Amino acid sequence: MEISIVHLQLLAAVLFALGLAAALGRRNLFFVLMGVELMLNAANLSFLAWSRTFPGRSALDGQVAPLFVIAVAAAEACVGLAMLMSVFRNRESLDTDDFSRMKE
Amino acid sequence: MIAQVYFGLFALVAVLCGATLVFARHPLNGAMALVGAMVSLSGIYALIQSPFLATLQVLVYAGAIMMLVVFVIMVLNTAKDSKTPGIDLVGILMSVVAFAFGLVFTGVLARTPVEARADSPRGTVQAIADTLFPVHGQSAWPLLFLAVGLVLLTAIVGAVLLSKRRLESPISVEDHA
Repeated sequence: MEISIVHLQLLAAVLFALGLAAALGRRNLFFVLMGVELMLNAANLSFLAWSRTFPGRSALDGQVAPLFVIAVAAAEACVGLAMLMSVFRNRESLDTDDFSRMKE
Repeated sequence: MIAQVYFGLFALVAVLCGATLVFARHPLNGAMALVGAMVSLSGIYALIQSPFLATLQVLVYAGAIMMLVVFVIMVLNTAKDSKTPGIDLVGILMSVVAFAFGLVFTGVLARTPVEARADSPRGTVQAIADTLFPVHGQSAWPLLFLAVGLVLLTAIVGAVLLSKRRLESPISVEDHA
């Protein structure tokens, strides 16, 4: 194995931080959704990298888990985009600052 | 050696694309950057002996999910919405918090002694199928696979219901004009 696990985990951490910054920092709903997608990708990379540190069949559990993450990400994107479309239809806006009715 | 060069290249592209996602003005630019990050992540998956996940990453993530996102961005055509400030004061604060979180995480990771094992199996289709649907012995994965099927079904029904204008209307887009 030539690529060190620590480097892979560092890359996953950096990508997770970038996704978190996009999800929390941006005001546009699209960027919030895509930031969540980037965080899920970073989690997948972390899963695969850790699975390289296990011997034998137990390593394959780390290879199967990202499969479920991808399926849940597909469901999340599907429902998230549908909600986004219905919100945009009602408010004509995608700015998260406009959606503060529950605060009042 | 050559694998490390490729890894550095893919990692650089992934991080640059992630940074573009944080700072892009228009959602389409962000979506394209995210596609770039996903494709380079797929290359990294292939480098760390997971050919099946690398294929799935391109097929499902970069192909299907991001296609859906780009499609919705184009349908909504939020050109006027791209005028909203990409990052304001709260955004800068949240980004600083996120990057501090990342720094703490990397600091912990950089001093963790972990080694890749030579006897770790490749994540081929055969190996993953044997894990997901074991012929011999007990495993929780088949049950989880059924649960994911239910989750996806619920998501489909939810998306259809959410995208209707009213629950009674048979077709949601007809009365738009």
